[in-house]
Amino acid sequence: MIRDNLATAQAQAWERLAAPGTWWTGAERIAIAAETRHAGNCALCTQRAAALSPLAVAGAHDRLAGSLPEAAIEAIHRIRTDSGRLGETWFRRLREAGMSEEAYVELVSVVAVVTAIDTFRHAAGLQQLPLPTPIDGAPARYRPRNARPGLCWVATLAPEDVTLDDPDLYREHPGPRERYGANIQRALSLVPHSMMHWWDLLEAMYQTSREMRDFACEYRAVTHAQIELLAARVSALNRCEY
Amino acid sequence: MVSHAALLRASGQNDNREYALDGLMDGATITGVPRGETLVALVDAALGRDEAALVPARAAVRASLGAAALIDATAVIGAFNGITRIADATGIPLEPAKAEQAADFFAALGIGRFREAKV
Repeated sequence: MIRDNLATAQAQAWERLAAPGTWWTGAERIAIAAETRHAGNCALCTQRAAALSPLAVAGAHDRLAGSLPEAAIEAIHRIRTDSGRLGETWFRRLREAGMSEEAYVELVSVVAVVTAIDTFRHAAGLQQLPLPTPIDGAPARYRPRNARPGLCWVATLAPEDVTLDDPDLYREHPGPRERYGANIQRALSLVPHSMMHWWDLLEAMYQTSREMRDFACEYRAVTHAQIELLAARVSALNRCEY
Repeated sequence: MVSHAALLRASGQNDNREYALDGLMDGATITGVPRGETLVALVDAALGRDEAALVPARAAVRASLGAAALIDATAVIGAFNGITRIADATGIPLEPAKAEQAADFFAALGIGRFREAKV
């Protein structure tokens, strides 16, 4: 039995995959989701993941039929299968191949949502969900005017730079701010709706920022220590320093 | 890794317990977290996509902690299999204050080797 707020958050996150995004259409977002699942079967990715360096293995990805550009296929496959060894040089090559930083950020959010929900269901012994049907419509193509480069590979929007034109991505209203603005929370902020898509899901699957630091109270059926053990072990296996 | 190893340590300090963080990296050292070995086995089986190991690992968590705990534990596993991709695909850095607080175990656990593997 899945607790209500977790089931609701996952259902909403899954449905949001199919809606037109900020830089990709609903059909393109579902194609990204399908390719995320398919990456696990890619022979090139399997060979690269096993190699001392992914650069040591050349070749073409085993991709699904469709119109996603090659730069997107490379991004999806590497993020899904070997994210711990991604470097800035790799990201710069994607940019040179025509991937905009905004489209990249939204792509990362879709890969992360699909990975999170698929991993959860597999680990819990639940059937994989079918991908939702894409919803027609054009991407909004909104870039926050105060987004700035410098924190990481892509521009970010700090809480203090949010304007009234931006959605309430840090949950500041009615206050106090619920998303404090840790670097990891800023990572997807160049595309506010992608950031909210991810964090609305994450907070139900893990905990909110406030709950995370409230050691006096347990909010889940596993304790704070057990939660952080799980989180840190997953991070170690994925070779994620953050 | 660093953020949540630090939170694990902080949760232990709140309970007057000291956890062995080596177990986060090697998966074998007993961390001291209640039912920690059972939970680590679940993570390793789920991320290794080892069905033969996953079925008993899942059953062990359900038997020792309950069905609700299995759901919450697997939700955390899923969440972090997603968020690690966001961190690494954007090159987001650790905040300097967190890095300073974690300097002792960062070196002891050899977490720096993650950075060295990036290309």
